[in-house]
Amino acid sequence: MNYNFNFNVVWRDWDLLASGLALGLFLAVVSIAIGCVLGLISAFGMVSRHRPLRWLALGYVSAIRNTPILVLILFTYFALPQLGFALDKIQSFIFTLAIYAGAYLAEVFRGGLLAIPKGLREGGLSIGLTETQIKAYIIVPVMMRNVLPSLSNNFISLFKDTSLAAAIAVPELTFYARKINVETFRVIETWMVTSLIYVFTCYLIANLLRRLETRIALPR
Amino acid sequence: MTIFKLATLTAVLAASLSAPAQAQTSDKLQEVLERGYLVFGTGSTNPPWHFVDEQNELVGFDVDMGRLVAKALFGDTEAIEFVQQSGDARIPNLATDRVDLTCQFMTVTAERAQQVEFTVPYYREGVGLLLMANGQYADYAALQEAGSDITVAVLQNVYAEEMVHAALPEASVDQYDSVDLMYQALNSNRAQAAATDQSALRWLMVQNPDRYVDAGYGWNPQTYSCAVQPGDQRWLNFVNTVLREGMTGVEFPFYAESFKQWFGAELESPQIGFPVEFK
Repeated sequence: MNYNFNFNVVWRDWDLLASGLALGLFLAVVSIAIGCVLGLISAFGMVSRHRPLRWLALGYVSAIRNTPILVLILFTYFALPQLGFALDKIQSFIFTLAIYAGAYLAEVFRGGLLAIPKGLREGGLSIGLTETQIKAYIIVPVMMRNVLPSLSNNFISLFKDTSLAAAIAVPELTFYARKINVETFRVIETWMVTSLIYVFTCYLIANLLRRLETRIALPR
Repeated sequence: MTIFKLATLTAVLAASLSAPAQAQTSDKLQEVLERGYLVFGTGSTNPPWHFVDEQNELVGFDVDMGRLVAKALFGDTEAIEFVQQSGDARIPNLATDRVDLTCQFMTVTAERAQQVEFTVPYYREGVGLLLMANGQYADYAALQEAGSDITVAVLQNVYAEEMVHAALPEASVDQYDSVDLMYQALNSNRAQAAATDQSALRWLMVQNPDRYVDAGYGWNPQTYSCAVQPGDQRWLNFVNTVLREGMTGVEFPFYAESFKQWFGAELESPQIGFPVEFK
C-alpha cells in the first residue's frame, strides 16, 4: 500500500478526543441510570396482573424497540421543539438514549423476573412481608444477579450508541473525530485511532462489569 | 559535402521552427465552430448551479453560462453537449481535452490557475446568514447584538467555526455533517441562523418564498470563473468576451434573467455611458 501514515495530526488533538470520550461516557452513564429505572418499572408493568399496565409497558417497549435510534434522536431534537418541548442538545440526547435504554433493559429485566421461582414470593409472604417489600428485598436483588451478564452486553451497546449524538452536534468522541478528519484529511489515521479508543473503553467497561458479576454472584 | 551539411542544417532549422508553428494552429474556436456544438463540462448535483430538474433536464446558473457561450457561437442555446463531471474531474477533463469549456462553480485559486486558464468571473460567492422570516432576529445587527445568546448552524468543514466567528465572534457554533440537518436546525430553532453559501441561501429563498430571510451580511469572498485549457489565447478571449458582454453588454438580459431565476434577485441594468467594468 502506497500510503504514508501520519498519526501526529490525530495525536495533536488528543485533548479534543479525550474530552469527547469523557462526554460520551457521561452521556452513557446518565442515560443508562435513568434507563435502568424506566426498564425496571416497565418490566414490572409487563408482568403485572393489571391489563392496562401490561399494555402500557408493552406499548412503550415495542414502539421504542422497533424504531431506529437515529430516528428517535432526530425526532427528539428537531421535531419535539416544534411541539413545544425543547431540551438542549445534551439533555435531548440523554432523554432519547434513556428512553431507548429503558425499552431494551425492560426486556432484560422481564426475563429476569420470569426466571424467579414462585417460591421466593411465597416465602416472603409467609414471613409477613408486603408485596412491595418482597419486590425490594427479594425479587429485585435476586433478579439483578441473574441478569447482570446480559446487562453488561446492553451497557456496552448503549455506550457505543453515544456516537450517534454527533448527528445533533453534541461534541462527543465521534464528533471530534469527524472534525479532525475534515480538517486534516487523515481519514485512515483518524478513524483508526477513534476505533481503538472505543474498543479499549468498551473492553474496560466489560471487564469492570465482569468483576462485579463474580463479586455478587450467587453462591453455587 | 558542404552543400549537404548546409541542406541538413536548413532542414533541422525548418523542422524546429515549424514545430511551434504547428502547436499554434490548434485553434479551439475554429474547432468548435467546425464541429457545430460546444462540449461543455459541468456538474449535475448542486442546485442552483447545475442539477437535473423535474423534466429530467440539466439546468442551473452554470448551465446557463454554457448556453450563453453556445448562443454566442451558433446563435443557438441548444448547440451544446453536456459532459457531466464530478468536482474533481474539472481540471483533468480540461487537460485531456474532453471538454471545450468548464463552468462548475469553480473557485479561482492561484494553485488552480497554474493548471487551467480562468475566464473573467461570472459570480462572486461568499458566506451569508440565513434567518427564519418569523424568527426572533431580524438582521445581522440583531444577531451581533445578541452576542453569545445565539447559535449558528454550519456545515462541518475546515475552519467552519473560525468562519462563523469572523462574522459573529461570540455566537455558539453547531456543526452538522449534512446540509439538510443544518437547515433543520434553523427550522426547529435549534440555531437562530445558518451560515451558508450566498448562492445556496438565495436558492433556498427562491424555493421557499416568505419562509427565510437573508441577514444582509456577506463575507468570505471567493470568485467563480469558467476555465479553459491553457495556451489558447484566442479561445480564452472569446469566452471572456461572451461572459463580459453577458454581464455588461448586449447579452445582459440573458444573464440577468438567469440570475433572477436561480438567485431570485433583480440585477440593475449596466449604466449607459462610461463602461461600468472600469469604474
